[in-house]
Amino acid sequence: MSRYGRTGQLIRLNLRRDRFRILMWIILLAALMTSVAWKFEGIYGTQSEIAAIKGTLASPGIVAMFGAFSFTGKVTTAEIFANEMLLFMALIQVVMNLTLSIHATRYEEDLGITELVRAHAVGTLAPLAAAATELLLVNGFLGILYSLGLTAANMPGATIEGNWLIGLGLASTGLLFGLLGLLTAQLADHSASATGLAYSLFGLSYLVRMITDVQHPRLTWWSPLGWIEKLAPYNHPNWSPIWLSLLLALVLAQVAVIAHDHRDLGAGAITTRPGRRNASVFLRGPVSLIWRRQRNVILGWLIGIIIFGVAYGTVFNTIGDILKTNPTMQQVFGKAMVHEANHQVLLSFTSLLAIVMAAVAVIPGMQLILKLHSDETRGWLEALYARPLSRTRLLFSYVGTAFITSTLAYIGGLGGIVVMGDASLKHVQDGISASEFWQGVWAQLPEVWVFLALSVLLVGCWPRLKAFSWFYLALGFISVYMGSLLKLPTWVKRLAPSGWMPRVPQHDVNWTTFSWMIALALVFVLIGWLGYRRRDLHMS
Amino acid sequence: MTTPVLQINHLQKKFGHFQALKDITFEVQPGEVFGFIGPNGAGKSTTIRVLLGIIRASGGDATIFGKNVWSDSVRIHQRLAYVPGDVYLWPNLTGGEIIDLLLKLNGATHTAKTDDLIKKFGLDPTKKARTYSKGNRQKVALIAAFSQDADFYIFDEPTSGLDPLNERLFQEAVLDLKAHGKAVLLSSHILSEVERMCDRIGIIREGQIIETGSLAEMRHLTRTMITVTLGDDFDVTTLAGIHGVTAGHHPHDWQFSVEDAQLSAVMNTLAQHQVIALQSTPPTLEDLFMHYYTGKE
Repeated sequence: MSRYGRTGQLIRLNLRRDRFRILMWIILLAALMTSVAWKFEGIYGTQSEIAAIKGTLASPGIVAMFGAFSFTGKVTTAEIFANEMLLFMALIQVVMNLTLSIHATRYEEDLGITELVRAHAVGTLAPLAAAATELLLVNGFLGILYSLGLTAANMPGATIEGNWLIGLGLASTGLLFGLLGLLTAQLADHSASATGLAYSLFGLSYLVRMITDVQHPRLTWWSPLGWIEKLAPYNHPNWSPIWLSLLLALVLAQVAVIAHDHRDLGAGAITTRPGRRNASVFLRGPVSLIWRRQRNVILGWLIGIIIFGVAYGTVFNTIGDILKTNPTMQQVFGKAMVHEANHQVLLSFTSLLAIVMAAVAVIPGMQLILKLHSDETRGWLEALYARPLSRTRLLFSYVGTAFITSTLAYIGGLGGIVVMGDASLKHVQDGISASEFWQGVWAQLPEVWVFLALSVLLVGCWPRLKAFSWFYLALGFISVYMGSLLKLPTWVKRLAPSGWMPRVPQHDVNWTTFSWMIALALVFVLIGWLGYRRRDLHMS
Repeated sequence: MTTPVLQINHLQKKFGHFQALKDITFEVQPGEVFGFIGPNGAGKSTTIRVLLGIIRASGGDATIFGKNVWSDSVRIHQRLAYVPGDVYLWPNLTGGEIIDLLLKLNGATHTAKTDDLIKKFGLDPTKKARTYSKGNRQKVALIAAFSQDADFYIFDEPTSGLDPLNERLFQEAVLDLKAHGKAVLLSSHILSEVERMCDRIGIIREGQIIETGSLAEMRHLTRTMITVTLGDDFDVTTLAGIHGVTAGHHPHDWQFSVEDAQLSAVMNTLAQHQVIALQSTPPTLEDLFMHYYTGKE
């Protein structure tokens, strides 16, 4: 039996197992891309609209979030589209690939399913090869859909070559990170740490891209995530990023095979050490148990988000120096006005980032709350239920840890931006003041809490619908990240709590909104708590 | 008579349209080991989960120590120990940490008894739970339960992953609990284990308790196996109340089963035909089990 024996059968099995998951991603992504392309002429159809957005896109704050693109000559609607959508779609595609790849390999292995499969006449590398093929098929199919969708949308300035470049470029970037997920699945010793490792590398390539984009766009070639920006699909079509991605993907696949050969099933390339013989004095209840189990994840998130914030802070001196882009300004307006203008630019940059940070900070908390349900179904709580431990205490141990984690993550991230940003400035008075920082904190925390409270409600009352929390968070994230550039209508931006508060510190905190958002969060938690006390707990 | 530790009255549980428990009624007395047997999917674990307050009964009621299992679960759990059938442990904690944590959650501590149990069961407490086999995961739960000083112990198929040596350790530990006047509810598939340890037995089928009582009481409900060698040509098939007659290897050798009600009549008749050898085997729990489940002997 060859090492790849029965890969075909496993591919069919994988596709069948993941059919809803895959279908959902494909529909969402293809619909997002195509519908934006469809509407784009209406948003940026005229030359004056294009000229206005061109200036915005060149500002360092937007470059930090959407990538550096160069425009020459007459700029078309399609070029603006590529600038706004490429990196953003790539981010979502990477998330999809990391989820699919680790779910298809390491997660199955943790559940013991791989062991069952491998006991049959199946090649040693077949599960890995099947997962890789699944990724190839999903990305390829999605890429073709993108290209066809863009061709159908027929934006002014779009070319057939450019459409295919975007579709296949996103597909190859997705595949590249999917294979990275397969590799980390071989290195780590369980799915959670594989996910953590993969996202750390993803975050690193995002940071490299962001810093190089703002300072030296030529160096963005050093980040695989930056390659997508180099496609320049509608002005100077360039296929080399695709070849580079595919080449690196092939290398990662090879390394994954080597790592796979050097480990036992169920173990990682990094082996586990023996641990404590007795519990520490500290480990004595549900909260310390969560901390003991999740401390690496929690600390990882806190440190990661602070680094993320600090990285954004390093671009303050580039962004907050209007004289760089407009050297004559000081002679015209005088020093004070220049400082004021710099301050305003930084304020609006920070306000935008604050919303992004808040959305990111929700993730670890939401994971913890949903973990209450996944721990329940995986039987890990059964040992706790049989103890004199009320459901109320159990619920609030998870929920409390989650709220604290997200709150700290948000403050840490925003703090990273502001502290590093102010430190990088030549004139500190241009930067964000302490009171502006705290305004930013108070403005976004209710939003973080409402998202978390919604998860509590779902886990407490309708645990089967818990995936909705992620969907809703994604909606909130997309509507604030892309909302103004896509000129989304106000009601769309108001669908999620991320759109309820005005942008702070650019504007003041609206304390009425603040109060009722807090009240809403409390009500959600309260109903979730009542539901959790009443419902049957599910067991595997 | 003392008040029972566990009392279940016409307990019912519905999952949607599926009636998992139709009518469960039994009780467990202090100092008693109660065997709870039935095939897969009959409702054993569902019953236990209702008793633990994990799921809520849709009808009937159940009390432990005289307290309602749903609304008073926290106070009940103070004096209760439980070992689930499938033990899932937090993968990145060591066995030793988990044992200590579980004890602390009951306000108990790691004692010399705990160390003794760890040694006896041969568990390496420094290993991460992720690396434990099914048997080792069960040992963790068993050690935590046995080192706890509870009044009521619930074991849900606790030995399904243990080797015979550890299985015996388990049985000794349970008999020790019994000697100390503790009540035990033991759900099991291993009928020899139940036969050896349990004072009373409840048999569950499709969500219903179909029989409770001691093994001796239950034996009356079924047939005794007789193997006999007679001295003459008597044809045993003429006897009333016997079943499954087979002739032995030699002439005059017979094997058959007798309904308990006819036993003395059959014996009297046989005695008149020069019994050379006679062996009577009471039904084992396995025979009883088969009797209830298949309707055959």
